[in-house]
Amino acid sequence: MITAISWRNIWRNPTRSLVIIIAVALGLTAGIFSVALMNGMTEQKMRTAIENQTSHIQLHHPEFSVNKDIKLHLNNKAEIEKILEDNPAIKGFSSRTVAGGMLASSRGSVGVQLNGINPEKEKQVTAIWQNMIEGDYFEGDSRKPILISQKTAEKLEVKLRSKLVVTLQDSEGEIVGAAFRVSGIFKTTSTAFDETQVFIPKKALQDLLQLPAEVHEIALVLNDLEQVPIIKEELQKELGESVKIEDWKEVLPELAYLSDATVQTNVLFLAIILVALAFGILNTMLMSVFERVKEIGVLMAVGMNKLRIFSMIVIETVFLSVSGSLIGVLVGIALIKWTSQEGISLSMFAEGLASWGVSDVIYPTLSAGFYIILMFMVLITALLASIYPARKALSLNPAEALHGLNN
Amino acid sequence: MSIIQIKGLHKIYNPKKVPVHALNGIDLEITEGEFTAIVGPSGSGKSTLLNMIGGLDSPTEGTVIINGVDVSTLSPKKLIDFRLKNIGFVFQDYSLLPVLTARENVEFIMQLQGRKKEEFKKRAEELLREVGLGDRMDNRPSNLSGGQQQRVAVARALASKPKFILADEPTANLDSVSTSDLLEMMQVLNKEENMTFIFSTHDQRVIDKARRVVSIVDGKVAEDIQVEQEMAQ
Ligand SMILES: Nc1ncnc2c1ncn2[C@@H]1O[C@H](COP(=O)(O)OP(=O)(O)OP(=O)(O)O)[C@@H](O)[C@H]1O
Ligand SMILES: [Mg+2]
Repeated sequence: MITAISWRNIWRNPTRSLVIIIAVALGLTAGIFSVALMNGMTEQKMRTAIENQTSHIQLHHPEFSVNKDIKLHLNNKAEIEKILEDNPAIKGFSSRTVAGGMLASSRGSVGVQLNGINPEKEKQVTAIWQNMIEGDYFEGDSRKPILISQKTAEKLEVKLRSKLVVTLQDSEGEIVGAAFRVSGIFKTTSTAFDETQVFIPKKALQDLLQLPAEVHEIALVLNDLEQVPIIKEELQKELGESVKIEDWKEVLPELAYLSDATVQTNVLFLAIILVALAFGILNTMLMSVFERVKEIGVLMAVGMNKLRIFSMIVIETVFLSVSGSLIGVLVGIALIKWTSQEGISLSMFAEGLASWGVSDVIYPTLSAGFYIILMFMVLITALLASIYPARKALSLNPAEALHGLNN
Repeated sequence: MSIIQIKGLHKIYNPKKVPVHALNGIDLEITEGEFTAIVGPSGSGKSTLLNMIGGLDSPTEGTVIINGVDVSTLSPKKLIDFRLKNIGFVFQDYSLLPVLTARENVEFIMQLQGRKKEEFKKRAEELLREVGLGDRMDNRPSNLSGGQQQRVAVARALASKPKFILADEPTANLDSVSTSDLLEMMQVLNKEENMTFIFSTHDQRVIDKARRVVSIVDGKVAEDIQVEQEMAQ
């Protein structure tokens, strides 16, 4: 019956209760939606990074990632490719020859990473071919085509079909150079990627480096991102120690860090909102207790013990907070559902976001687990906010509480 | 049989700042089945005395023994339980929980006592019928008149099967018809069920119904009159 009493007590002053319920609801809706937006951005960033840069898994010579020496190529390329082809969980892979070099136009030069790729194979793994804004993706008959990003084109002040000179060190340590023609200009959402990566046919790079048929990197994409840990382990067993296998998190550790940090930021963000709401709830409950001093005195007089009075106030606070939160969560979910269908266009800020690796349409998203954490946080908030008012109620002495009413 | 024994009872409020000597040495004994009015001018200490008897406040000096138990020796926790089991309360005002119906108010006290549901459901109905509210059981206090509310309060006080019922100015807010109705009902309960009533009052018509009148003046018993049974009726 205490539960019933608590619930009815809330509705004795409907205006006051509704005000705090609405405040809690609004706070949580705003909180949930912001968090979903941040998540959407993070996820987007991760997805584009995986699509354009890391793929799901990458294979290298064990020391390649440490010093990027072009001599550290994969030794048993044919054997590895055979294993990858036979694995049904692997959707596609691309073997690349990779080297650092200088890219120069008549107007300037930049340091870049040259990716020697097989265009068709690369299509299965990265989305560069979908990000062409000018020219085409190795479709023309140019003998030495090069794909550069819009950023790089601007920096070097070159256009489609302009000539660029690539300079690098070959495997003998000799400086070699060759001219390429810009056959396509791409633009991804990551400025950092765009500024550093260029693509040329694999054969052209191998010739320059004097590394016939050698590759440094194999990037692969699975049918299911979730399977990455399993397949990674599987491949490690098959390929042994001579190949270093890294998943996308290892290739770009800041990406994994970002997703962890996002969760922490989200929880902290909501905690701050809840702390603010807790003061509102506390205030409402305190008013309610002070209004009922005599009534509480009567309850104590007739034999309601302290534990029950304490519970009554705590339950009232929980009801108040939880009903507000439920409304807030439901509205938040509806808002996320609604906006995630079309996505939210952030074209106004797209320039800034692009440098952060986010495209201009965000799809807000929130996992079910987050709602559970949130409801726990709400409950804890309610309990904390109820302690002070409940203690106030208990500090009353029945005779004193009744004093005003009996004489 | 004596159910309340008060010896040398003193109560000083605010002993440190501005001491108020509310009770100055009260000796009083109440036996089972009494129908006793505590009277006296405003501020004479009636409510204070009833609070001491009801275990709502602790004496500065002296003892209150209820049913053989010195209530001042009970811990606050035990005291609440003691009140729940032994004492029925009726207050002047706000006696009932406004969010509960008449029926629920009566049931609530029995639920606190941990009685079984079937038992308290039945008893609540019986008691409400007994106090003449058989047809208003599911009304909340705000939909009942002052007199009806006090009847519910009496029903609630009875529900816990107490040793006695304390009522501090139960009729102070009632019109004369409701006052005599309530008193009549209390008299019936007193006679038929031998329920002990101790009530404070200013109202002469209420005093006239009492079988014993204890006058308090300046925190002392000034007069203690046993009214002849026949005269009280
Ligand atoms: N909780 C309290 N704190 C301080 N003083 C109190 C308290 N309760 C009562 N008093 C004082 O003690 C004295 C006796 O008060 P009490 O309420 O017992 O009188 P009463 O006879 O019931 O008066 P009334 O007829 O007005 O109800 C008064 O002077 C009152 O002001
Ligand atoms: Mg009084």
